[in-house]
Order: sequence, then structure tokens, then C-alpha cells
Amino acid sequence: MSSDPWSIAGSRSTGRAARWMRDHQRVARDSLIFVSQRFWTSALVWLLIGIALALPGGLYLVQTNLAAMSDRWEGRPGITVYLQVDADAQVGRALRDQLSEDPDVERVTLIGADAALAEFEKFTGVTDALAHLKRNPLPASLRVVMKGDTRPEQFEALATRLRAEAGVDEVSVEKTWLERVQAMTAVVRRMSWVLAATFAVGAILVTATSVRLAIEARLAELQVMKLVGATDSYIRRPFLYFGLLYGLGGGIAGAMLISAVLGILEAPLAALLGSYGQSLDPRGLNAAFFGVLVFSGGALGIAGALLAARQRLTHLQIL
Amino acid sequence: MAQIEFRDVTKRFDNGTEALRSVSVSFEEGSMTFLTGHSGAGKSTFLRLLLRLDLPTRGQIFVNGVNIAQLPDRHIPAYRQNIGAVFQDHHLLPHHTVYANVALPLRVGGMHERDVVRRARAALSRVGLLEKERMLPPHLSTGEQQRVGIARALVNRPRLLLADEPTGNLDPELSRDIMRLFEQFQEVGTTVIIASHERELIAAMDKPIVELSHGALSEASDEHRSEGSSVQ
Repeated sequence: MSSDPWSIAGSRSTGRAARWMRDHQRVARDSLIFVSQRFWTSALVWLLIGIALALPGGLYLVQTNLAAMSDRWEGRPGITVYLQVDADAQVGRALRDQLSEDPDVERVTLIGADAALAEFEKFTGVTDALAHLKRNPLPASLRVVMKGDTRPEQFEALATRLRAEAGVDEVSVEKTWLERVQAMTAVVRRMSWVLAATFAVGAILVTATSVRLAIEARLAELQVMKLVGATDSYIRRPFLYFGLLYGLGGGIAGAMLISAVLGILEAPLAALLGSYGQSLDPRGLNAAFFGVLVFSGGALGIAGALLAARQRLTHLQIL
Repeated sequence: MAQIEFRDVTKRFDNGTEALRSVSVSFEEGSMTFLTGHSGAGKSTFLRLLLRLDLPTRGQIFVNGVNIAQLPDRHIPAYRQNIGAVFQDHHLLPHHTVYANVALPLRVGGMHERDVVRRARAALSRVGLLEKERMLPPHLSTGEQQRVGIARALVNRPRLLLADEPTGNLDPELSRDIMRLFEQFQEVGTTVIIASHERELIAAMDKPIVELSHGALSEASDEHRSEGSSVQ
């Protein structure tokens, strides 16, 4: 007998790119099935990676918002001029007019004693404060907003000049607050970088360990694959998909954690910021941030899978 | 030119064991040869070297004129895709169906799924196991598992078929069936090398023999003697 024992028509030859695409589709489908069949194990990995991403991600948000706050203050460096309690209303108006003429001043707002008391009652919740007092203890004040390009020495010179004005009790330069916020921002920024690096290593190790376990579970299969001519990239591919799925899931878990924490903190944060005359307007919490978080998760997942594959699959002993 | 040529090949393992000693032998394309010898004679090492799972300590192995020890790593998968390998303990994937086991070399080779189905089912049909394609290997008898291993080795239509004690666990009748199957592939041009120590079976097949003893060539049919062959 000399006929071809398979006696079937030859297979269709297909292009390399088509084969590559086909294999990726198959591996992606198999990996999704593998991960979903081990849902609770996968969920644990997602949560671990999510926590590792949420902490630096959350700190990044804190830093971004602190920076935005300081930008807002820095953009309009201010001086508050408190008048003497018994100063005549005319003194305040005269000073406002005088300051409005100053080329370094952007704008001046006069807050009368009555308006200050109303504001006090609004923020403290103490109503009818005057009923317990003989007279309004709050002075009128002037809120002076300087131009953005004002030099520090001009800033200080104006404060000194105002202190010498008749009817002025105290001049408060708001630079101090600004400096504190900026210092805090710098600390948080550095901390978020350190934490990001530390937790990125953590996320990579979590993924690498999970992928390594998957490799060990399929070692016999991989040895046979290599025996029948599988390339290293073919053998590695399913594990890179595991890493990617673990990482993407971790990124989504991290985004959910951050959203949950912000949801819990929203009310007290709004109250805190309100006490400083600021409204809660979280910056950086947008689709791009969540996109970067999920993308970072995916990238860290692939990095972990590559690490595990490199450790376990290089020089894999066959049979 | 011979398809396969061992030139003065020695294989010594890290523990000092010399599995092959100065073996020079050649195999023509489309031949079917029994590689025989006692247990530990070096038969499996011989096949592992041909599969490029190990490298010789000394000497050269040429396949189609290429020294396989010098094959770049990136060419090894393609080289192995042209070799079918059958083992005594089958090396089947227990959690994959019979069909998936047989389809594996085709998928690894990047074949279109439609063709994978046709080829894998044809291979299973050829070894008489098509009706068991959905079963898992542990649910099959030893003989059936061996036939699945053979179907997997042959599904890719390899140019070279290596079998390491393929009938070791089988009854004589099944052993002869499998040998007849190997013969059919030889007849269409596949080079077949079967490592076996079953003297009765080898005698019944009346095929050329290469015999190893303690790692050295102790007997070789004329067609297998190559330049430098020395039978000890």
C-alpha cells in the first residue's frame, strides 16, 4: 500500500499574520474562560492588585487637588485688612478706594461688620448671635487680591504700609497658608511616587505568583507543546493574557475602591472645605484617570506574567 | 545523501554517565528501522538527541544535511513540527479530550481551525478512535491511549517518526496493528525509527536493525553503516 494514510486534501495555507490573529483570538477566549471558571480566585487577585493601585492612585488625586487648591490661592495672593471694631465705615471705603488705585492690586472687596457677622452665623450655625452680645464684635475688613505677577517684596511693602494706616487693626498676609499647602502637596507628591513604585512592584509580584501557579498547573501540557514544536511565544501567550486580565481586573477594582472611598468621604470633605470657603470640586477624577488606572493595571499584569514566564518557561525541561 | 546521519556522536551527562559512545550511523529517507538494545543501552538518548531535546557532547548529527546541534533556537520549533514522537507512557494531556490531544500539533503549527478538525478527525479515524474523540485519556485503555499518542504524532504528516517503546504496554496483537500502522506511513515516505527491545516483534517485522549496547553501536544493517561506523 502506497497511498497517503491520511487520504485527505491538504490544508489551506494561510498567512502568518492571519495565524497570529487567529491564535490571539483563541487564546483570549480560552483565557477569559479560564479566569471566569476560577472566579473567586481571580477576584482575590483583582482585589489585591486593586488595593495596590488604589493607594497611589488615591494619593495622586489628593496631590492633584492640593496642587489645584494652592494654584487657586497662588493665582490671587491675598491680604486681609481688619479694621478696628469702632472704625468708621468711611475709613473702610476710603481704604478700598485707595487700594483700588494701586497698580499691584487686582481687586478689593470691602466686607462690612454686618456682612462679617452674617457670614460668621452662616458658617458656625450660631444664629441670632447679636442677641447675646451688646454689639457686633466683628470688624469690617478688606479682602485685597494682588495681581499674579506681584513680587514678594511688593506684597510685604503693601502689608507694612497698610498696618500704618489709621483705623487698621491687623493685616493678615495669606502667604502662610499657601506655603503650608504647597509643602503638603510636595510631601504628598513624593509619597505618592514612592507608594506607586512600591505597590507597582507588589502588583507585579501578585500577578507573577498567580501566573506562576497557572504555569505549574499546566507544566505537563507545556512540555508536550514544546515537544510538538510550539514556539516560546506560543507557549507564553496564554499566560500573558492571564496577566493582562488579572491586571485589567485589578485596575477596575482599584477604580471602584477609589470611587467607594470618595463616596464615603464626600460629605465630611465638603464640610471641611466649606469651612475654608472652598467648595468640593474634585479634580483629576475623570475618565482619563480611570483609563490610566486600568491601563496601568494591565501593564503591571503583563509585566508580572512576563516575569513568571521568564523564570519558569526559559529552559523548560521537556519530558 | 542520508536523511539522518550520526557522526561519531557521544553523549555524556553531567553525572558522568556516558549514554552514547562514538556512534556513527545513518538512515535513508523513507526507511523503517528498529533501534534495539537492552534497557539503558542508549536508545532513548539517541531519540532525544534527534528530537533536539539534548545536545551531543561530541560529534555531529545531520538531518537533511543540517547539523541540528547548530540550529538556532528560533528554528527548533519548526524542526520539531516535522517530527512525530510516540512514547511508551504516551504523554497525553489528561484534562484535554482525545480530539484536543490529537489537534494540538496542528494548532501549534497555526493551522486554520476548519482544517484542524478535518485532519484531527481523520487521524483519529485512522487509529480507530473517532467515536471516542470527546473522551478524556484517563478513561481509555492503555492500548487506546497509545493509539491517541500515535494519532497525535502522525497528524502533522511528519517527515520523521520516532517511537520510544511504542508497544511496551500492549498485547501482541495490538502491537502488530500498531507496527502495521507505522509501516503504512513508511510506505508514503515517512522515515520511521522505532526504539524497542521486543525481539519477537522485531523479528516478525523483518526490518533493518540498529543495535546499541552500553551506548555503543553493536550491530547495524548495511544500509545504516555510514563513514566511520565501527560496530563493537
